[in-house]
Amino acid sequence: MLRVGPSSGEIKNMSDEDIFSSRLKLLIIMAKSYLIGCPIGKYRKQAIIENSRWVFYHSLHLVNKMVSFKDQDLKAQAGIAFTDDMHEEHIFYQRIQLLAVMAKALAEGRLKGYFREKALKENLNRICEALIFNFNVKDVKFLKVA
Amino acid sequence: MSQVSIPNVKIAVIDGDLLVRDFVSTVLMYCVNRDVLSFDNGMAAWRYLEGADSPDIIISEVDVSGLNGFELLAKFKEKHPAKKCLLMSANPDDEKVARDSGADAFLAKPVSVTDLFRVVEAFVV
Repeated sequence: MLRVGPSSGEIKNMSDEDIFSSRLKLLIIMAKSYLIGCPIGKYRKQAIIENSRWVFYHSLHLVNKMVSFKDQDLKAQAGIAFTDDMHEEHIFYQRIQLLAVMAKALAEGRLKGYFREKALKENLNRICEALIFNFNVKDVKFLKVA
Repeated sequence: MSQVSIPNVKIAVIDGDLLVRDFVSTVLMYCVNRDVLSFDNGMAAWRYLEGADSPDIIISEVDVSGLNGFELLAKFKEKHPAKKCLLMSANPDDEKVARDSGADAFLAKPVSVTDLFRVVEAFVV
């Protein structure tokens, strides 16, 4: 019997955060696969669009939550804006939303041109640095066939 | 563990949690570039699975309403012994039961993208 997943001591139900993190990593893999020329078939296209939408709307929700926290802070501590950490987090979620838009565009064949691909690579690199996520898409053979 | 290759593979995912079910289905749809069936309870899944057009692989949560994962595994293997049944669970005690019951794989939760890639590599390509 194949066994995958965390060790017995770390088994738990999947939280919203687990799902968000996993879907974001999937989105990164989808974008990286596109950049190395992996084919996109009918259902892969559908999966990329579904995942892009999911990540976009949930990151939007997380940003809105942050903004409401910020507003409460402003009421309580008049004039105090984001801390550096909150600013970085805000930018990080903006980058995730941008990645979701880019991924949907690539699935629909609209992410054409050198500078758009360069922007996608740069955005991916920044997100991966923040996540400390270093997945090598080239190792996954089945992604190279549609 | 057997290494097999299933062309035009048909997969079904059974989990009562919509977020998990959709996540697993999306990853698998992307991996195999095929549509993936999904069911929110064991009984609805079994009504489909006992038919002639049954999937090659089912991935079921153990704690699912209707028929639980172990009951579904027993029925599915009885009807289709050559097909694959993989169980997911957030309960560590379920791993031994899954092994003893003849499950082809045990997916401990939280399931990651790379866990699902390993499943595809082991059972599909």
